[in-house]
Amino acid sequence: MKQFLILWLICLVGFSQTNSSFEQANELYNSGYYKEAIEQYSSILDSNLHSAELYYNLANCHYKLNEIAPSIFYYEKALQLAPNDTDVLNNLSFAQKMTIDAIQEIPENGFSKLFNKTINSLSLDDWAISCVGLVFLFVLLFLSYYLSSSEAKKRLFFVSSSLVLILLVSSLGLLFKKDNIEASLRPAIVFAKETEVKAEPNLRAETSFTLHEGTKVQIIEDYNLDWSKIKLRNGETGWVTKAVLRNL
Amino acid sequence: MPPKQKELRFKPKRTGKMKIKALIFTFFISGLMSGQVSFDSKVSKRQLGINERLRVDFTMNKDGDDFEPPGFENFNVVGGPSQSINNSWVNGVRSFSKTYSYFLAPKKRGQFTIGQATIKIDGEVYKTLPVKISVSAAIDKPKDPNDPNYIASEKIHLVAEVSNTNPYLNEAITVVYKLYVAQGVGVRNSREIDKPRYSDFWSQNIDVEGLGAQQGTYKGEDYLYVVLRKTVLYPQKTGKLNIEPLSLDVTVEVPSNRRDVFGRSFMSTVNRRVSAGNRTINVKPLPEKDKPESFSGAVGSFDFKLTTNKKELRASEAFEVKLEVSGKGNLKLFRLPRLVLPSALEVYEPEHSEKVTTLISGMRGRITDSYTVVPNDPGNYPIPSVSFSYFDLKTKRYKTITSEQLVINVDEGPMNTSNNSSGAIVENVITPNLNQFSSFKTTTNLKPIHSKPFFKSNLFWLLLLTPFLLIPFTVFMVRNRMTRALDVTGNKIRKTNRLARKYLSAAKKSLGQKEQFYDALERALHNYLKSKFRLETSEFNKEKIEEILQNKKVNRSTLEGFISLLKACELARYTPLSTVDMQNDLDKASKVINALDKQLN
Repeated sequence: MKQFLILWLICLVGFSQTNSSFEQANELYNSGYYKEAIEQYSSILDSNLHSAELYYNLANCHYKLNEIAPSIFYYEKALQLAPNDTDVLNNLSFAQKMTIDAIQEIPENGFSKLFNKTINSLSLDDWAISCVGLVFLFVLLFLSYYLSSSEAKKRLFFVSSSLVLILLVSSLGLLFKKDNIEASLRPAIVFAKETEVKAEPNLRAETSFTLHEGTKVQIIEDYNLDWSKIKLRNGETGWVTKAVLRNL
Repeated sequence: MPPKQKELRFKPKRTGKMKIKALIFTFFISGLMSGQVSFDSKVSKRQLGINERLRVDFTMNKDGDDFEPPGFENFNVVGGPSQSINNSWVNGVRSFSKTYSYFLAPKKRGQFTIGQATIKIDGEVYKTLPVKISVSAAIDKPKDPNDPNYIASEKIHLVAEVSNTNPYLNEAITVVYKLYVAQGVGVRNSREIDKPRYSDFWSQNIDVEGLGAQQGTYKGEDYLYVVLRKTVLYPQKTGKLNIEPLSLDVTVEVPSNRRDVFGRSFMSTVNRRVSAGNRTINVKPLPEKDKPESFSGAVGSFDFKLTTNKKELRASEAFEVKLEVSGKGNLKLFRLPRLVLPSALEVYEPEHSEKVTTLISGMRGRITDSYTVVPNDPGNYPIPSVSFSYFDLKTKRYKTITSEQLVINVDEGPMNTSNNSSGAIVENVITPNLNQFSSFKTTTNLKPIHSKPFFKSNLFWLLLLTPFLLIPFTVFMVRNRMTRALDVTGNKIRKTNRLARKYLSAAKKSLGQKEQFYDALERALHNYLKSKFRLETSEFNKEKIEEILQNKKVNRSTLEGFISLLKACELARYTPLSTVDMQNDLDKASKVINALDKQLN
């Protein structure tokens, strides 16, 4: 208990320090010293602290310096923490304009589109929190139903509690589905200016296609220490060396 | 000559006279030079078959006596000596030549020397130089030195000169065709019969302006030559490549043996076909070592540039990106590197232009690809660097030129004005702009990176599942309450106990203090009855209570107990009592109240 308290105190001190360095970095950014701002922001990351805003500002710096891959990388990082931030989405679209690869997504049908939209509207922890909230709401409504004496109240509480129960079950389903998806997805950003995607995990193999920096790919599997099998949004797959990628 | 120097020093005025003397002296010397005697030997050929004949001329430009021919040991003198004298006056200058001619037939094969002939001119003895002759095996047709065809074949040669017979792939080489014509032979006309086709080369002819004859040597002899054709070739294949010969039909005028009255020989006209022999070129492949990836076959020395005509523009305006290679080399024979642009830009097919001139040394000039690009959305667009590689012939190495990365800054494009059709001038309406890069965020809430996710943590499971436990718990509680409500007697006992405890609690507190204790006890008893029968305090006395309790059919002993208690309360004010007595009375009171309660209900 005592150790925990000390740790907490240290954390608090750390927070105040890093908050001030976040502001310093913002000042540097605002005066146009992007390189220095990047250093300052990175120092916050080095102290094992992060936030969506930090990643977003860091990505903006890289964008201003025309560094495509890092800017997209950090925008994606920010989106992981705040999936619906309009600023992040807007600036990410700016950064994506700088990329060379144009990958057409496989068009989704209406249901799966809706499903994906719903599942991605909240982060994993947000889903977990909302599930807990729904559980409490359900129990409250159910007990009200059980305890209320009048027929009208009983009916009202019963209907509402069963609605909440349906909602709860479906969001629990989404929560576990999302967890499942996130465990299987390993997104990465291509950092090399230009890289050849091979048909097999060796350098002699035929080149399937060429990727340029800033493209987001999914890692499907690994081979040895050097090779990763990647999948593009349009469904194409191939092998690249790990050095050209950076995992999100 | 020290005395003369002295003279010069002391009589400087005489220098003018000295100059004139020197001038006269020079004239005299030159006169002597022009009058120099020459005595040469000349052979019609230096190589001949054993069945051929040879003509030897000994020519002098001044008459002399005592001509002595050489020995001719290895030859038979077939004809001669014949003398001819040529004496002419041209513009008052006399030229004289006298020739002794011998026709010789070799006796055997081998290397022979025609020795020196001597003559005495003006009292001096002159000698010719010995001439070496090689005699080979018999040739099929003895060539008549007077046959015009033979002369034509000997005196006219077409030669293809190749600048480099061992070039690299795509290195420029030049082929120059020269027609060599010996002096004394005239060419009247020439016609190309077969133009060479350079099948494995990229070729370009270079126009030859005018056919001016130039002096040159062919196999060590003086000739006149004419450059007929110049071609620049770029080999497109490696290995041994053949250059096809050029064939010409030439009309040649050859001097014949017959002479006119002035001693000039008649010219006879012969048609002769000449061709430059096949030439083989051995083309080397470019080295594979260090070959850059961006190499597309350029060989020479080049400069590479990537330029744009604008760096800042508005969306939906067009700009141009130009790739330019300039320099020397196979400019028309390679492709410019392809420009790769961000996919968000609209790029049109490049316009290719060439400004290349081909000289004898090869192509030089510039080639450009200009791309028209239209950005549709504002933003920063990088134009990635482009690499151009070529093989440098001077250093025999590959060289790569990489352009710098450029950034095109595209601002907000013209707004769609069609919406504002009313014609009203609206000044500076601020509209929400979604097409702008958002600025940085000023505040943040930092969290540890490696904080454990809430999902699947113990707290999550606890919060998710414990609320469900509330349901059975509540159900149990409610059930319990209901069963208790059903248990009537138990309930009553519990109720009276509770009542007695309630009323007697005040008395219990003042246990030990006599007066207060009994006051409280009496009040408790009264209060109990009051609450039971809803009586007013004023109505209280023992008789009244007795009556009421009897009416309610209360057990006699309980009634007496109650009354005795009340009496004890009254008596206690006047009698000394111990704490033990008080405790006894308290117990008794609680028993009585319990009993009363049972019977009253």
